[in-house]
Amino acid sequence: MDVSQYLEIFIDETKEHLQNLNTQILELEQDSENMDTVNEIFRAAHSLKGMAGTMGYKRMQNLTHDMENVFSEVRNGNIKVQPGMIDILFQCLDALEGYLASIQESSDEGTNDNEHLIKALNDILNSKGASAGEAPKAKEEAPAKEEAPAAKPASSGDSKEKWHEIKLTDTEKNLYEKAKADGMFFYGITVYVQESCILKAARAFLVFKALEEHGEVILSKPSTQDIEDEKFENDFSVIVVSGDPLEKVIEAIKTVSEIEGAYGSLLTDADFNGASADGDSDGEETAPEEKKEAAAAASEAAKAAPTTAPAPAAKPGEKKPAAKPVVNRTVRVDIEKLDVLMNLVSELIIAKNTLVSTASSDDATRNGSFNEQIEYLESVTTNLHESVMKVRMVPIESVVSKFPRMIRDMQKNLGKKMELHMTGEETELDRTVVDEIGDPLMHLLRNSADHGLESAEVRKERGKSEVGNIFLDAYQDGNNVVIEVRDDGNGIDVAKVRDKAIQRGTITPEQAENMSDKEIIDLLFLPSFSTKEQVSEISGRGVGLDVVKSKIEALSGEVEVKSKLGVGSTWTIRLPLTLAIIQALMVIVGDEKYAISLSSIQTIEDIPAADIKLVEAKEVIQLRGSVIPIIRLNEVLEVESKKSPDADLMVVIVKKGDKVAGLVVDELIGQQEIVIKSLGKYVNKAKFISGATILGDGEVALIIDANALV
Amino acid sequence: MGELRVEGAVETESAQFIVIQVGEEQYGINIAFVDNIVRMQAITRVPKSASYIKGVINLRGIVVPVMSLRLKMGLEPDEYTKATRIIILKLEQHGTVGVIVDEVKEVITLDNTQIEKVTNDTTNDKVNFVQSVGKTNGGGLVSILDLSAVATEKE
Repeated sequence: MDVSQYLEIFIDETKEHLQNLNTQILELEQDSENMDTVNEIFRAAHSLKGMAGTMGYKRMQNLTHDMENVFSEVRNGNIKVQPGMIDILFQCLDALEGYLASIQESSDEGTNDNEHLIKALNDILNSKGASAGEAPKAKEEAPAKEEAPAAKPASSGDSKEKWHEIKLTDTEKNLYEKAKADGMFFYGITVYVQESCILKAARAFLVFKALEEHGEVILSKPSTQDIEDEKFENDFSVIVVSGDPLEKVIEAIKTVSEIEGAYGSLLTDADFNGASADGDSDGEETAPEEKKEAAAAASEAAKAAPTTAPAPAAKPGEKKPAAKPVVNRTVRVDIEKLDVLMNLVSELIIAKNTLVSTASSDDATRNGSFNEQIEYLESVTTNLHESVMKVRMVPIESVVSKFPRMIRDMQKNLGKKMELHMTGEETELDRTVVDEIGDPLMHLLRNSADHGLESAEVRKERGKSEVGNIFLDAYQDGNNVVIEVRDDGNGIDVAKVRDKAIQRGTITPEQAENMSDKEIIDLLFLPSFSTKEQVSEISGRGVGLDVVKSKIEALSGEVEVKSKLGVGSTWTIRLPLTLAIIQALMVIVGDEKYAISLSSIQTIEDIPAADIKLVEAKEVIQLRGSVIPIIRLNEVLEVESKKSPDADLMVVIVKKGDKVAGLVVDELIGQQEIVIKSLGKYVNKAKFISGATILGDGEVALIIDANALV
Repeated sequence: MGELRVEGAVETESAQFIVIQVGEEQYGINIAFVDNIVRMQAITRVPKSASYIKGVINLRGIVVPVMSLRLKMGLEPDEYTKATRIIILKLEQHGTVGVIVDEVKEVITLDNTQIEKVTNDTTNDKVNFVQSVGKTNGGGLVSILDLSAVATEKE
């Protein structure tokens, strides 16, 4: 079976399941008695196993299988959730993520068996039965006993001896008669392989070999071929002809390792009489069906075995190692969004057709209907743009949901008590932004956990609760999405930062005198600047905040920090909702056209030249009571202004966070929707040019990033 | 990388070169790196970029930086005429870059016996852009440009 076409879906869904498992196990750690959580975990593990099996990823399947076993036991109340177990489960999730990464790279799961984890899981399974001896097995068999009779009406009460299900035909009957005459015995034996056994087929082979030393295998169920292909659950049944007593044969089977048990009995004439009648009437056809039924019963009974035969997909030949990552990045799209898109495209076509017919009509009617059509076209393209953007939007949940786990691990590593509170996970952002935002957020969270939060003792002394709190809040604010990382820790020690900066020669003591606290805190974003005395594993190599800043700026976002010593810090990331298309104000400076993003513009003012005042040799204006510095764009852009110095100034008031400035331009053209094009690294030396756009007449206009100027 | 590729191309039997005129001299550009040749068009100046970067143009919806080969080589600034062309180069390392040249003369085919490497005099900027010299069938000489060096950012 070719499953490669399902690979993308598999990877997507596996990610979801893993994420779900992560979340649920975290919850379980908090509330180990919650059965809903246990059930949810069990279901997720079960689905994962089924999917991995279908795709032929055996190792993944084995590991999830064992995890599922553990949860099956937890669910049945046989095992209590312990901290050690949670740790092992997290390790299992990491291992599964490892498989997934490998699958994503090469469509192959790799060769790591993670045996230590499988062993650890089995230890958990076995530990609870230590006192009761054979308890695990007994327990697994117990439900089997209940379910089995329903599934196999023909067989006798003892469900362990599934060999009764084997159909005996006349051939066997003849052999039986002959053997009886020779003084040989016919035994029906059912062999149970341990559930944890990885190479079931190999064990079965050894069992067959052991049996052959004592006699001959006449029949087996499933067929020998299926057993070799591992197409069986945890048991198989054989009919053996042997001269040795039954005990000896069973003993021989039990010498094979990883065999849980073997149960058998001597076949009598009665077995053949009943069977032959049965076999005659039903024929061969019923056999597979019944096999399936039995398999289903067994799997339900064990509550752990693969749901449907996963083996067919598991042929090793299908796993071809590929050099390139085999999966493209995808976005799952709500079908409704696609429908809207489709509708808009059809409207676009209609608009085009109308335009064509208008163009060929009489001059008299042309102009009016042209304008009408262009307006229509405009509304269609705007809607089209919006819905394409919506298609690209994904909730940030996919990134932030891994953080609780991270904080949990860090709590252990750092020996601090902390808790992460998240809100607004459903906030949507462009897929490209969501993909990129994970690392910066992780840096900030780590930073808060490591540098921000104090140790429990210090917190107690300061009258705070022992458990430190980290908050991650996301919300939409106009055309931006704001993500805040907040902690109630120590806050940033401005004096310490200042000393460090002077010590490192980043600033001179004189400069430090004149710097505001905020400016000093901003020094933290400079490359290689770490104030933590001790470099820890988690953060503090000085490659953090500058990376955060550059990454966020690369996404046309900004990051700010507010901090109060002893109370905590707030890091605010502000990101544009969409990247590719923005509303912009087109302006003229000198004889060049520029675009300024509308999102950063507050107002546009007409200011008489006489209103300009000088404060500290900088030009400012007073506007509604506040003093605003002005920036003459023609100076920044190195062009000659075409306006006379005493003419009124056209000032575009822009805002960045709580900073406001006025940009002086020569002329306004108007508002326009523009498509942002990258200038590439080659020419873009100036930070305040964020890109370029192509105007209606084919000319290129540069986009001014007001944020970089303020 | 760019340089390596050019050398690789030289080793094969023959390669085609576009012959361009910049100032008094003629230069050859390996055709493998030429994406397009366009007429002079409106260039949007980009503030604060290197002096030889003239700005950006719109090449069928893509914004492409354009540089002046004359300025890069330390010659007189360009005088745009009817013959002025922008050669759009696609370089592995530097991406797509437009180069303004005075004139595009012809396309020639040279095999490797006709191409001789030159040792660069590191003190002379102008010579450093030349990686080898080709002898045309007509007996003329063409300096073959090291495009990687041309595109590398330096004053």
